[in-house]
Amino acid sequence: MALSCMRCPAGAAAAVSARRAVASPLTTLSFARCVFGRSAAAAGWRIDAVAPQGVKIPVDAAVENAVTPANPSKVENGTPSGITLDEFEDLIALSKNDDSTVSITVVGASGDLAKKKIFPALFALYYEDCLPKHFTIFGYARSKMTDAELKHMVSKTLTCRIDKRENCSEKMEEFLKRCFYHSGQYDSEEYFMELDKKLKQHEGSRVSNRLFYLSIPPNIFLDVVKCASKSASSVNGWTRVIVEKPFGRDSESSAALTRGLKQYLVEDQIFRIDHYLGKELVENLSVLRFSNLVFEPLWSRQYIKNVQLIFSEDFGTEGRGGYFDRYGIIRDIMQNHLLQILALFAMETPISLEAEDIRNEKVKVLRSMKPLQLEDVVIGQYKSHTKDGTTYTGYTDDKTVPKDSVTPTFAAAALFINNARWDGVPFLMKAGKALHTKRAEIRVQFRHVPGNLYKGSFSTDLDRATNELVIRVQPDEAIYLKINNKIPGLGMRLDRSNLNLHYAARYSKEIPDAYERLLLDAIEGERRLFIRSDELDAAWSLFTPVLKELEEKRIAAELYPYGSRGPVGAHYLAAKYNVRWGDLIAEHYKA
Amino acid sequence: MATTGLRFHPAAFFSARPRNARIGSYHNCKPHRILVARRTCLLRAKSSNGHPQINASFGNEVLGGKASGDGVPGQGGSTVSITVVGASGDLAKKKIFPALFALFYEDCLPEHFTVFGYARSKMSDEELRNMISMTLTCRIDKRENCGDKMEQFLQRCFYQSGLYNSEEGFAELDRKLKEKEAGKLPNRLFYLSIPPNIFVDVVRSASRTASSSSGWTRFIVEKPFGRDSESSGELTRSLKKYLAEEQIFRIDHYLGKELVENLSVLRFSNLVFEPLWSRNYIRNVQLIFSEDFGTEGRGGYFDNYGIIRDIMQNHLLQILALFAMETPVSLDAEDIRNEKVKVLRSMRQLKLEDVVVGQYKGHTRGGRSYPGYADDPTVPKGSITPTFAAAALFIDNARWDGVPFLMKAGKALHTRRAEIRVQFRRVPGNLYRRNIGTDLDKATNELVLRVQPDEAIYLKINNKVPGLGVRLDSSNLNLLYSERYRREIPDAYERLLLDAIEGERRLFIRSDELDAAWGIFTPVLRELEHKRVAPELYPYGSRGPVGAHYLAANYNVRWGDISSDESSH
Repeated sequence: MALSCMRCPAGAAAAVSARRAVASPLTTLSFARCVFGRSAAAAGWRIDAVAPQGVKIPVDAAVENAVTPANPSKVENGTPSGITLDEFEDLIALSKNDDSTVSITVVGASGDLAKKKIFPALFALYYEDCLPKHFTIFGYARSKMTDAELKHMVSKTLTCRIDKRENCSEKMEEFLKRCFYHSGQYDSEEYFMELDKKLKQHEGSRVSNRLFYLSIPPNIFLDVVKCASKSASSVNGWTRVIVEKPFGRDSESSAALTRGLKQYLVEDQIFRIDHYLGKELVENLSVLRFSNLVFEPLWSRQYIKNVQLIFSEDFGTEGRGGYFDRYGIIRDIMQNHLLQILALFAMETPISLEAEDIRNEKVKVLRSMKPLQLEDVVIGQYKSHTKDGTTYTGYTDDKTVPKDSVTPTFAAAALFINNARWDGVPFLMKAGKALHTKRAEIRVQFRHVPGNLYKGSFSTDLDRATNELVIRVQPDEAIYLKINNKIPGLGMRLDRSNLNLHYAARYSKEIPDAYERLLLDAIEGERRLFIRSDELDAAWSLFTPVLKELEEKRIAAELYPYGSRGPVGAHYLAAKYNVRWGDLIAEHYKA
Repeated sequence: MATTGLRFHPAAFFSARPRNARIGSYHNCKPHRILVARRTCLLRAKSSNGHPQINASFGNEVLGGKASGDGVPGQGGSTVSITVVGASGDLAKKKIFPALFALFYEDCLPEHFTVFGYARSKMSDEELRNMISMTLTCRIDKRENCGDKMEQFLQRCFYQSGLYNSEEGFAELDRKLKEKEAGKLPNRLFYLSIPPNIFVDVVRSASRTASSSSGWTRFIVEKPFGRDSESSGELTRSLKKYLAEEQIFRIDHYLGKELVENLSVLRFSNLVFEPLWSRNYIRNVQLIFSEDFGTEGRGGYFDNYGIIRDIMQNHLLQILALFAMETPVSLDAEDIRNEKVKVLRSMRQLKLEDVVVGQYKGHTRGGRSYPGYADDPTVPKGSITPTFAAAALFIDNARWDGVPFLMKAGKALHTRRAEIRVQFRRVPGNLYRRNIGTDLDKATNELVLRVQPDEAIYLKINNKVPGLGVRLDSSNLNLLYSERYRREIPDAYERLLLDAIEGERRLFIRSDELDAAWGIFTPVLRELEHKRVAPELYPYGSRGPVGAHYLAANYNVRWGDISSDESSH
């Protein structure tokens, strides 16, 4: 298929990069490379301008080996302009050259995340030709396992994303041939030296790039990073480490973790993953904001009354509360996922779409925020509930949870950004487990029309007839704008309708999993969707004081029944700032 | 059920429609009857999802309040007589009688009313009823009692034959009307469904001999309102010899269309549109009207006027004025019409170089031949009357300076359509410019209000194509009426007739509006005729003359309707 092979330059680009690095270590631009690869894929034969002047050279240019043509250039319909045809063919040829390789080591290969998300995402990337031509996948864990056993384990979770596609099982077979296993302790340099040896065998004489995915508990992050970086770093290519949350429990522990990591790694080697940032509609948020003029004048306190960031799950810990109980919903969802979305939503226009420019803007938002106060937080915990003969167990009934746990499984919070754009606009967050629905969405409520001519047609509360923009991240990705319009008929009655964009209706293509995007970005060195240390610090400092206070005072969570809409306290919090939760109203209203 | 949310005095509904209480003499309309009627018909209007709508709960203007002016009799004390002058004509049969029946069916007419047909031909009441009954349909098939209702309606229909310029004929009508009115306070509405050359005769005769003695008397007039500034001014002067401005209801049935009505609601009740509505954000506005058929043997009237007078100077210009006007002080008719006049008076006169005219020619497709305009036996052989026109108009005020308003109207085109397209400027300093390609103007936002067919509102936005790349795409934020509202949308004539009965003038055209409208078009119409500018020929069923594209290109505009046919749905 034309499209998917044209996507391959993404992977191929890595090869191009490596080669070019040797030839001309001059301009290095990871994002441009990604643009080269991806938009070429997307637009058919169209390679958009690659490296505009004044692009930033990533700090780790020495480690990084990404390269783009030095001149801004554009190729459309196979007719190159800006670069010569020779150069263009050279690029294509390079992309087929296999003198660099990527080795991806999944540390904690027998864990749940690895099985459910990482291996399938790697396979999907492989299937879509997004991985470099030569790559190796290693599983690393303590348990004894043979390569064959790992392959068997991995194969059980792989699915061909779109069933109708051909060659899926062949592809799977080829993919599994590149998967190997190495067992070892997490804190032992010897074992990682052995891994290094094995990696070298597979890498041969190619430039070796290595990616470590740490799918392990946080307490052994540092051990692994120490051993892996000391004894299994690439000698001539790059070495990157992907880390998953939790990044500490508060400012101090997070800073300690960062300091620890930085003993062995430089900032640009650390890829802190927040998989929400890989979601399609979160990615689309910036596109919406910055490529549509109609939203531009609206995006400030002048027009926006409040912003709501809502996350809910319709299941509880279900016997897996051990980890959760130590963190709670605020750390698990708010401080990272929702706050990241907030920062993307609220940031000023970055200078470019480059990772550092975007992350600079996000940090600015976070640093402009007021630390969360105890009175602006409501916490809840689900209790058991019997419905239609089925009993759903409460949080503390979970065997993996201490009986007297006060860990919140629900929280609502009001946050404020003290800058010129957002002064006084409440950003409300709400996150919870065991609620009535599974949902993640951003709701933007606009102010009421000043001097509304149709006020006679609304009820007394003008704020209930305001516009609302909803970006539904999951499930059923959609964007819709609620507008007031006239009900057809002879009278003059107004009604709220939606201007809708429902993804499933518009795009038949399956939306790739967040992990695919993020893994690909890490391989390409695209850091836009990963969290920088200073972002993390700023994020923790907003939540740490209130988290400490909640724990020190052992503040009791408001109980709510499993499967309900959560504690009513959330409504009172909203009311305090003259806000109504849009998700709960919407159900009465919406078509 | 929508009705459960109605927790206020029924009279509140009455005031939901802005009323102009200030024009005293025209508030003879008996609110009482209508009030009851209007409530019922409003209750019927609910959205398909059955959820309660935003409720009105205001009630400053209540039953029997100031609205009832002079000596209103008690319960059931007033009546409306509607006389359709030119009852045997096409419009009367196809639109007016069916609209009256629909209003009756929906309980929107006052309890006591009489419908009279008036024309020259001899006909009995029974013959008129026969004629009408053939065109009546029960709008929503599933409804009950339709046959009964039709019978009841026909019983209120009568016929009077007479000459149009004869006071005797109308004196006779007056006698019959008085019989039917039976001592109730009489209000009379005359609908002039007749050729323009006899407007004045009818108005003179009817106003002298068949005006209501104690209630109101109103005249609905249909286009054409003259051929140019002079003839229109002349017509207005003549009408005003016999009628006061407030008695004249100049109908522009496009203003009764659902989405045109909704235009003001969209603009003024949605904050998100407010900052966008000016030259700062809007690059151009397009008003597009097309029909997929020609004159088809009925070119006699059309040839005398042409598409510019038939569509642009009235329908499209009215929509433009509603679109572009400043926020009115209130929704009262006079306030809205004041703002519309301001827009029209701020407009530059149309120049010949900003107009492209076309005429359709014969075309054979799939073995079928479609005749050209000049092949129509009712059209003079050498006619150069345009059946297509495109024009670029400008409003020289602070809000719209430099924004081209492009109009396009034509017959015998490939599609039947009426829509407003608003193209926004490009994003300044677009971060995603690399993903868009060289022509940044092709990736701008666009708001489309489709008036017909398939009423819809949609906003084109750029978003990311799902997938691993960053590829942008233009998608629509959609509101398709047929999906959201199951209810059939009432015909424009129903709304306008009801408004005339209620004395609501918002959707009718005032004399000064008409003057201003003609002021914009008259010079170019003259020039076209004096210079006998030849129209560009285009095949029947095509997209119209390419000249329209060049006109648009002059102002750096692309017609949105034609590009969208190819790129989206």
